[in-house]
Amino acid sequence: MLSLQHVTKLYGSVIGVNDVSAELGQGAHGLLGPNGAGKTTLLGLITGQLRPTIGTVRVFGERPFGNPEILARIGYCPAGDLTERNATPQEWVTYLMRLSGFDGAEASRRAGRALEEVGLAEASRRPLSTLSKGMRQRAKLAGAFAHEPDLLVLDEPFDGLDPVARHDLVTLVRTWAQSRSLLVASHLLHEVESLQADLAVILGGRLVASGSAEEIRGLIDALPTEVRLTSPTPARLAAWVSEANVVEHLQIPDATTLVVGTRQADRLAETIAAAVADGLVVSEVLAADRTLEGIFGRLVQLHRGVDR
Amino acid sequence: MTRPDLTTTAAASREGPPVPGHWLTTARAVMAFQLSRLLTRPRLAMALIGALFPPAVMFAAIRTAPLDRNMAVVMIYALIPEALCVLGLLVTMCPVVADELERGTWIHVAIRPGGRRSLLLGTFAAAVLWTGGVAVTGLLLTLLIAQPTQPIGLAVMFLALIMLSCIGRAALFALPAVILPKRALIASVGVALVVEYLAGFLPAVVNQVTVSLRLRSLLVEWMDWRRELPVEMTLFVDTYSAGVQITAVIILVVVLLAAACFILNRRQFPPSAEN
Repeated sequence: MLSLQHVTKLYGSVIGVNDVSAELGQGAHGLLGPNGAGKTTLLGLITGQLRPTIGTVRVFGERPFGNPEILARIGYCPAGDLTERNATPQEWVTYLMRLSGFDGAEASRRAGRALEEVGLAEASRRPLSTLSKGMRQRAKLAGAFAHEPDLLVLDEPFDGLDPVARHDLVTLVRTWAQSRSLLVASHLLHEVESLQADLAVILGGRLVASGSAEEIRGLIDALPTEVRLTSPTPARLAAWVSEANVVEHLQIPDATTLVVGTRQADRLAETIAAAVADGLVVSEVLAADRTLEGIFGRLVQLHRGVDR
Repeated sequence: MTRPDLTTTAAASREGPPVPGHWLTTARAVMAFQLSRLLTRPRLAMALIGALFPPAVMFAAIRTAPLDRNMAVVMIYALIPEALCVLGLLVTMCPVVADELERGTWIHVAIRPGGRRSLLLGTFAAAVLWTGGVAVTGLLLTLLIAQPTQPIGLAVMFLALIMLSCIGRAALFALPAVILPKRALIASVGVALVVEYLAGFLPAVVNQVTVSLRLRSLLVEWMDWRRELPVEMTLFVDTYSAGVQITAVIILVVVLLAAACFILNRRQFPPSAEN
């Protein structure tokens, strides 16, 4: 369905996407990466809005840029907010359907049905400017799939949605992916995970990991967890945890901090508890790299072979 | 807000993607949508001011000194097909891409098959209709105030000049609008000044590709002023027949729109420009 061969996209001297190669078959796929990683650029290349500087992009076997037959088979929900103010969701989606080639009556029917599917039937006649961001997000989503594309590409689709709406739309999109292809970009792992999609992780414009959600989690779990401990005696604490044989690396960046890298976080916790019981003072324990940036950073390390 | 109807998304209910629509149909859809965008209070107020501007100037001129028919015609020509049409098109045609980028709607349109071309042609049609409507309203009010002899003949002539001015200038402004979308207004003002009002008055080959030369020549032709024209003024008009002038404008419009479509189809906007 989708083939990327050594794709690089440059904006002047700025790299948007760097030498990405991937083959994606039919089904659901997630593109995971922090903000600014190059996800939207990659989606722009796939949806035929950008041309690669180097390499080849093929969707359904053809180059998508300026190719109306391929564009007709793609639905795209961009990340940016919809600031079209005066139109109602019904008018907006009907307009998009007319641009997709449907006559007025059919465009209106499809718009109505899509808005109903995203739960916006009641608000479909209200101006977009009076709707919440989550409701505008639903209108955007309806516009992306009302023409029944073969490939639905969603960029941060659940941004601004409340948990109930998020759950509903995840279910909707997951149902979609049973019969068509889906590519979802997000910076939230659990969001993409919930779609039961294969994952590709992008960072700094490079594809740093790919596989099923379990495989990505496995990769993350296989990497050392970095734990930051605050103590008035970091050297003594370092000696204590070293003896427990659970440490991958140690660092004392300042007089009150100890950074421990470990693959056995549970055993490290037990060791710290024992140290505290023995009279050592530990005022804070923080798993710093459990943040999203930490996880991505560790995947980059893995990609570069640092932790092999 | 209702909960999504998940049952209707079953695979069996899917109907498949559409066949790309005919460009005329999709351009018509864009035109209708753009016109609906123009039907806001600020835009309507702007249109009203535009339509009242030529009759107000004519009223002031008549109160100052009596105008003969020819002088009134020259004033109407300068005020409506030249000034009002250009100003109206600067407001409606120039932001064809910039407005979409600003509203975050560009990507929604550009992802549709033929969406970029439809956007350009549909906006072109909407700009011509809107500006033409304002100009015709202004013309009728101005004729009412000036009360020249044979007003119907003048009205028909000016309707044709307004039409040609609108399509010619809209096509001309389409180029800077797609080449420099974020500076389209400034670029279009530059184009209007340099191409239409500087090159258009140069007695050289370059003025052949301007709309202003064609409009002036048509005015002279239709008013039957050619024989009375001072020698030095003949440098600023063309001697070809009205049919040739109109054909020249149409060819210019087709070439400019084709060039603008070609450029727009190849334009790439980085994600940062779309938000």
